[in-house]
Amino acid sequence: MSFLTINNVKIVGLSACIPPDIEENRGLAIFSDNSEVEKVIASTGIERKRIVRPGTTASDLTYQAICKLLTKLEWHADSIDALIYVCTSRDYIAPITSAILQDRLGFRNDCYCLDLPLGCSGWVYGMSNLASLLSHGQLKRGLLVCAETNSQNRSPKDKTVKPLFGDAATVTALEFDEKWNYPMQFSFGVDGSGYKAVWTEYGGTRNPITPEAIKEKEIEPGVIRRGIDMVVNGMDVFSFAIKVPPRSLQEFIEHYQIDVNDIDYLFLHQANKFIDDRIRKKLKVPEEKVPFCLQDYGNTNSASIPLAMVVCKSEELQKGIHNCLGCGFGIGLAWGNVHYTIENLKAVVLHEYEY
Amino acid sequence: MKTIDEFVELFGELFDDIDTSNFTPETNFRDNDEWSSLIALSVIAMVDDEFDVTLVGNDIKNATTIADIYNCIVAKSE
Repeated sequence: MSFLTINNVKIVGLSACIPPDIEENRGLAIFSDNSEVEKVIASTGIERKRIVRPGTTASDLTYQAICKLLTKLEWHADSIDALIYVCTSRDYIAPITSAILQDRLGFRNDCYCLDLPLGCSGWVYGMSNLASLLSHGQLKRGLLVCAETNSQNRSPKDKTVKPLFGDAATVTALEFDEKWNYPMQFSFGVDGSGYKAVWTEYGGTRNPITPEAIKEKEIEPGVIRRGIDMVVNGMDVFSFAIKVPPRSLQEFIEHYQIDVNDIDYLFLHQANKFIDDRIRKKLKVPEEKVPFCLQDYGNTNSASIPLAMVVCKSEELQKGIHNCLGCGFGIGLAWGNVHYTIENLKAVVLHEYEY
Repeated sequence: MKTIDEFVELFGELFDDIDTSNFTPETNFRDNDEWSSLIALSVIAMVDDEFDVTLVGNDIKNATTIADIYNCIVAKSE
């Protein structure tokens, strides 16, 4: 496992933009009966999700999330030095979506823009990228976007996927501050041998889109999808998630000699309550220190950690000093851990998308 | 290491709705009304807890009887 320590960069604000439309898992037509849906809810902890209307992209949600956050921070658009956009549901195959957002938001032409097509480990990886850039002290202000419109790139007729994933865009505002005394500490891992655990087989260059790839196929009862829809092999993801993230967190904690008792919050990727509870118990962290917004928002991939911070701990994070751990894990398979401190955030915004 | 009979008992405890008292190592675990992918996940979790062995999707998919899964655990613990 690789480790990284970054100094002089602090989190100053957070925002999340969620679609106003709520999709309840109870009542989804893909389930054969009520007992099936109740079992899924009991084992995943996910009751409902926010879903965009077709035609609305992750970058549309992001645009409003950034506008709201900049206003609250009293940051002018032309003061942003870097924009990193973590998302797999990009606006176009090319170019990068952060370029589209640079123009739409009126950011400077010398704003450093980059897309990272990562999933559930994306907030941790994105934080390491943006904080590294800012730590040199030349670029001062940066925005990390973690956004996803899962409802648009997965089959609505696949019961192994449809109840689990929601849409959201989040923004984490970072700033260089040479007086900031709390380093961000990271560790990372990847196991590409598990690339088929969560993947989209068609639509890239290995398997281009063909007429066959856009035909719906019944894989098994309740699982109908196209080649271009994302596949989630639940058992393989589960095997990975109950083993690797807790072990890597344990190694991380040992490496940096972190006292788990001193941690105020453990923000886990909001994957599935069953998985997250196992990770929490293996680390012996009490329940009240592990915030969850999963029941109302589902799995929002890279957005899930900042979304949990905004939804569950908005008031707390605007007051006092908080010693936090974050752990993202999933598609890749990839995982990352981060130890960070939050002090008196200037802005925490939860905004419902305005059509 | 737990015996196969102990494993059959642990396996049966993962079912809520059906009577599992007649489960034996030779029971076809799919051949009942309750087996689902969610129970498959709880099998993986139970095996992780009780045997410290990680089963993957194919280990379950390729198995027919409870003994097949037990044998897979034995092979993986060696």
